[in-house]
Amino acid sequence: MIKNKKYVMVYAIDRCVDCKACMVACKAQWQVPENHFRTHIDEKYSPGKYAPNRKYFLPSQCNHCDEAPCVSVCPTKASHKREDGIVYVDRDICIGCKYCIVSCPYDARFFNEEVGVAEKCTFCLPWIQQGHQPACATTCLSNTRIFGDINDPNSEVSKFLAEAKRNKSKIWKLREDLGTEPNIYYVQS
Amino acid sequence: MASIKMSRRGFLNTAAISAAAMSVPFTLKRSAASDNNAKEDKKLHISQNWCEMCFWGCGVTAYNREGRVFKLEGQPKCPKNYGKLCARGNSGIYQLYDPDRLKKPLIRTGKRGEGKFREATYEEAISYVADKTNKAIKEYGKGTVSLIAHGSGEHAFINLMSIIGSPNTAIPAYSQCTGSREIGWFLTYGRPYTGNEPIDAANSKCLMFFGRNVLEAVMVGETQRVTEGMAKGAKLIYVDPRYSKTAAKADIWAKIKPGTDLALMLGMINYIINAKLYNIDFVDKYCSGFDELKQSVKKNTPEWAEKETNVPAETIKNICQELSNAAPSCAIGPGRRLTRYGDDTQHVRAIGILNALMGNWYTPGGFYKISKMDIVTPHICEIEHTEVKGGEKIERVDGAGSEYRLAPKNLGLENKLMKGILQGEPYPVKVMFAYGTNLFQHYPDYEECKQIIDKLDLMVTCDVYLTETALYSDVIFPESTYLERKDPIGVMTGKYPYVKYREPATAPLYNTIGAYELVEKIAKKMGYKNHFKTIDDVNKEILDQLGISIDVLKKDGVYVKPTFEGIYPQAEGKDLKFNTPSGKVELYSVFCEKLGFDPIPKYTRHKMPKDDEFRLLFGRQSYHTHARTQNNRWLLALHDFEIKAWIPAKKAARLGIMTGNKVRIVKGDKKSRELTAYVTDEIHEDAIFIPHGYGRITKFMELAYAMDGASDANLCSNGTDPISGASAFHQAFVKIEKV
Ligand code: SF4
Ligand code: SF4
Ligand code: SF4
Repeated sequence: MIKNKKYVMVYAIDRCVDCKACMVACKAQWQVPENHFRTHIDEKYSPGKYAPNRKYFLPSQCNHCDEAPCVSVCPTKASHKREDGIVYVDRDICIGCKYCIVSCPYDARFFNEEVGVAEKCTFCLPWIQQGHQPACATTCLSNTRIFGDINDPNSEVSKFLAEAKRNKSKIWKLREDLGTEPNIYYVQS
Repeated sequence: MASIKMSRRGFLNTAAISAAAMSVPFTLKRSAASDNNAKEDKKLHISQNWCEMCFWGCGVTAYNREGRVFKLEGQPKCPKNYGKLCARGNSGIYQLYDPDRLKKPLIRTGKRGEGKFREATYEEAISYVADKTNKAIKEYGKGTVSLIAHGSGEHAFINLMSIIGSPNTAIPAYSQCTGSREIGWFLTYGRPYTGNEPIDAANSKCLMFFGRNVLEAVMVGETQRVTEGMAKGAKLIYVDPRYSKTAAKADIWAKIKPGTDLALMLGMINYIINAKLYNIDFVDKYCSGFDELKQSVKKNTPEWAEKETNVPAETIKNICQELSNAAPSCAIGPGRRLTRYGDDTQHVRAIGILNALMGNWYTPGGFYKISKMDIVTPHICEIEHTEVKGGEKIERVDGAGSEYRLAPKNLGLENKLMKGILQGEPYPVKVMFAYGTNLFQHYPDYEECKQIIDKLDLMVTCDVYLTETALYSDVIFPESTYLERKDPIGVMTGKYPYVKYREPATAPLYNTIGAYELVEKIAKKMGYKNHFKTIDDVNKEILDQLGISIDVLKKDGVYVKPTFEGIYPQAEGKDLKFNTPSGKVELYSVFCEKLGFDPIPKYTRHKMPKDDEFRLLFGRQSYHTHARTQNNRWLLALHDFEIKAWIPAKKAARLGIMTGNKVRIVKGDKKSRELTAYVTDEIHEDAIFIPHGYGRITKFMELAYAMDGASDANLCSNGTDPISGASAFHQAFVKIEKV
């Protein structure tokens, strides 16, 4: 049986240098309103040897959750989970009630005032259907971002995650305790 | 300027809304072409270009849909960026549609700097420039015309200078940036280092940088190579008074006392020699002056260096050990903007020596060999009466090649040219062209900049924005952005030499012009008969030599030299030759000695700040270039429209300053505009750090102006490295006060 595609993204976070190219590539491609971004890079600290604490850079965007609260609260089903795993907002149905924005535990959504709809990362649908990679992954200077179909064992994401497991790298997702089943994998060696 | 009652963010929001309203292309409409549900791009127009958001020149493919450029993407084959673009590169679209762009030629009507201009036709503006320039030449001679320039169109203006016959061209990239690096490397290795950044970082096992903030002052290819090398296990050692993004990624961060790098290097050289960590074969075969070096650094033990630099002797020893373990697959970067303390050429010499001790020249993971395309780059304009072609010899104003013997004449010394203009020595310079460069943001002291321009009869700027330099100009020409113009094919050197292609991604949005077209018109108007080829003609000559069709460039954007040349001659067993007096890598520089400078770098302690002062350090953010991108809203949003002054925690506490407070930088009677305090242990207590490019005075760059902040150029020092003639900016001491 051929499985559906299931799009996910992996961040090899050791590589991220906080250049924020991803944020701008996304903004440009989707004309994201001036004050918003669909993906972010945050500065974080962990105990380290040289500075008082060691700084690292943490990317984030919509996790395309399997059990997405944003989908279940949407009164019009504008927010929906597609067969390829992408959580998507249909702009023609969205009434701008903002329930999804408050329900998202990852603060991944914002209100697009110009269009009057809820907005977030779409994994660059439909650009990816034309054979491209998402804008952020394409431009990522350090190859922190790896995108693909996790149901295909030969995809780059599958291979990367398999290798990360073999190398006993740390692999996690954000707030797994919430039961949202997110689909962005964080990998740290 | 603190009279703005709204919060800064609020103010910028308002500014942004008006900006968005003006720039119709940004307005997103439901079911517009950019709708997420659009199925197919029927009207996609794809064009090739190279990025001009900085000067690295990454290959770019531009996507235009129904007349609007909506996406820029790195060309996968371009050796500068292999498919990637940085934040600035991606934001080139904002610049293209920025409502603040210059749109028409302008002629000044008010006083200089007052900001009063009237729109003019090209015919009128060009006549004005031609007449005034001719008049000045008649009165003062050809040398009275000067040029400062940076960017792809600079060669057009260099042509104009050759046509006129004036030697007074200065490319600020030398004196205000990499000059000392090139000379220091030349003295040691017999060739300049060059902007190719020939560190083979992707294959390296250990990389070290002294204040070369390689992961934050981004040039895509270099950042790619360093992150690639690190992903494969390379160690990163980073020396900086500040915990920059590069420091955050480093295995060892040495928080050095600013101004003491040379002491650290000498300490390392001492330890490497005494612990016999150096590459004996390479030193025996290819280096000259080892015994003198050993003698010279005898007292510079790691313990001595610790006292000078605040870097623990143990750390210094560790660093040496790490490098030596990796050698020859290691590299110590010579930095990029090396205009710091006035001993920068010697600083680079010491880095050159450290590398030589590792024996990493032309080896994988060390330095690779740069090669070139086997073609002759055609001239767009054949010039009949240049200095070179037997015209009259005119003395240069800046002393490049004479007083500063090593400073190359084709690049000149902008800092000395400016002094010459100010003093009227050795003769009056009355005309200046500024192309793509903003004097006020890279030459120390606003007042002095104004005085310099006041000496001129004619100041002409060609740029995309109405910069400070434009504000003080008499005539302003609006340049088409790189996305709107054609330029001659670029011929590039490097590890993998290539040619690059630029075609417009869109028709010009406004009544703007390219530098080549402008210069041709000015030269004609001045009465010169020189023939300018068209850009297409030049391109054809290049393509013919390469034996390829234009379609290759239209498809890939670049054409990379197909034949493989030895990149690592040493590793390939070839004999190395060095173009130095001894034919070897000169640990002891014969040339330096001849010129009366220390043949081996020696450390002299610089003046240090008093207890209530800070040394003013400045540098790049990942997402801005020089003073060129501070009007780009997409980029400003990346740092929340905030400009941080890094202030060491202990001293901040004494001053009652906390993170988030508004502060000003004070130097004598100068006070900067406001910055936001970032109080931290992540900077050495001697220094404060500010990002470059703010504290603007031109209100014509609305967002940049609204950002406030401090201009490092207005506050820094104006010293000179006596060997290279380049500037020294980091010798300024400032105070800080809470607003
Ligand atoms: S991250 Fe937030 S917006 Fe994205 S699917 Fe999960 S709940 Fe929804
Ligand atoms: S482009 Fe890549 S390296 Fe740069 S900030 Fe984004 S994830 Fe990090
Ligand atoms: S490094 Fe960035 S700004 Fe510079 S040329 Fe490359 S993409 Fe453009």
